Amino acid sequence: MMKSICGTTAVAGIGYRQYKRGTAPLPERGVLVRTIIDACEDAGFDPADIDGFVSYGDDRNEPVRLMPDLGTKEITWSGQVWGGGGGGTAGAFGLAAAAIATGQAKAVMVFRALVEGNSGRLSAAVMAHHLNDHLVAGGVVAPAQVCAMRAQRLFEYHGVPQSVCEELVRASYYHGARNSDALAYGKELDLSEFRTARWIATPFRLFDCSRENDGAGALLLVSTERARDLRKPPVRLLGVANGTEKGWGDLLENDDAELYATAGFRPTARRLWEQTGLTPADIDVVQLYENFSAQGVASLIDHGFCTYENVAEVIRFENLIAPSGGLPVNTAGGNFAQGFVHGIGLCIEAIRQLRGESVNPVLGAETCLVAGGPGAPTVSSAVFGKDV
Amino acid sequence: MVQTVTGPLGAEGRYWQALAEGHLELPQCTGCGRWHWPAVWRCGACGSWEHRWREVALSGAIFTWTHTWHPFGGTEGIDKPFVTLLVSLAEVPIRLLGILEGPEDGVKIGAAVIGRIDRTPFGDHFVPAIRWRLSQ
Repeated sequence: MMKSICGTTAVAGIGYRQYKRGTAPLPERGVLVRTIIDACEDAGFDPADIDGFVSYGDDRNEPVRLMPDLGTKEITWSGQVWGGGGGGTAGAFGLAAAAIATGQAKAVMVFRALVEGNSGRLSAAVMAHHLNDHLVAGGVVAPAQVCAMRAQRLFEYHGVPQSVCEELVRASYYHGARNSDALAYGKELDLSEFRTARWIATPFRLFDCSRENDGAGALLLVSTERARDLRKPPVRLLGVANGTEKGWGDLLENDDAELYATAGFRPTARRLWEQTGLTPADIDVVQLYENFSAQGVASLIDHGFCTYENVAEVIRFENLIAPSGGLPVNTAGGNFAQGFVHGIGLCIEAIRQLRGESVNPVLGAETCLVAGGPGAPTVSSAVFGKDV
Repeated sequence: MVQTVTGPLGAEGRYWQALAEGHLELPQCTGCGRWHWPAVWRCGACGSWEHRWREVALSGAIFTWTHTWHPFGGTEGIDKPFVTLLVSLAEVPIRLLGILEGPEDGVKIGAAVIGRIDRTPFGDHFVPAIRWRLSQ
């Protein structure tokens, strides 16, 4: 039996800087350094003592290059979750926690930085990771098209009503409109605009697709014991799962027929619930990676919050908003309305919620699920919890 | 020697050669009879390293589809909007992507299609490709 890492590590500091695409004040590594220092100041931690670095999604900032700016004394752990999309967002915390739990590092910075002037468009980078002649031959060159085909199957074959996508997007905008740091601040979703926006790839119109932004996010993970001596209340990593199963993956759209329209989370969600002893009913708030609306819906289904049959009862605008809804989702606005730095902003909001720092607080929230990029060949999710 | 325009070449070199010769061939494990797609060097089910490439008819049913409207980079040479079909082949348990030609009315999951071999422009290159057409 694997030694449990549940709750043994905690996020002690966070930093997040986000800009409209093309407006970052510094090149990518500069923005990242600034954000890491923010996280250290938040925690009251000397940046020179960070000894581990973890990222995901083909981040280009090799940790060794950060050492001169941070004053790093020694790197004892660095790694990145495989995969070009956001599938590794939550799994990055698993890599970091494994290092701390086994004594291979003491203070690990989990980060993702993306300034498109340096790294190019995110969608293009993700697709470059996956592109092959089989896809190109069919005119498929973008994540939107792959996710659109899966969404079409979800609606047309599995009978999920497409209207639930509108409910989810609307909830993200409701929260983003109330978050002064969000790109959609002051701007709730205009439903007629949503319904008539230009088509991207059927069944997706413009507002079914996430934004792309410049910025960086950084979260300092240390042992829970150590976090208790730092400035902010620790937020513990209660569990994390990453991976995939037979019949799902980079398979030229030949995934198992029953899995094809899912977001790929069935095995990781099962392991996450087993590992933590929690169930969807125990989750107080969800930060849900939505690259596309239907994949967000499929992710909630995969994690067991609803089924193909009752999805419309659960994914309702009123149910998804804080503080009154039963399943508040993307309380800072998510990738649709807060902004999109490859999903790292969702992790930041999870910590803010559990510290009581969110602009859309869920009263008494003790647990928060972070679901990483849905539909990716490998995916991951994590549960964070208040220190008790 | 088969060369790809994008991405690495896996075990499917014969697929591209066959398309260039004007027909569809797909790999079947000689050990256990399984069809593998993507192509593999080793059958993960029975361990065999031997696969026989067999000619397969370009006919099947729509598994899913999307209508592309946005001018994504790389689709400059394709008239928009266009429909991409993912088709479950009738003869073997494999799905193949291709662009729809001809009438679009009647595109739905389960609809029968037949195909022919063509090529799709991508940048300065052309990639061997399947064109699907609704059967009725």
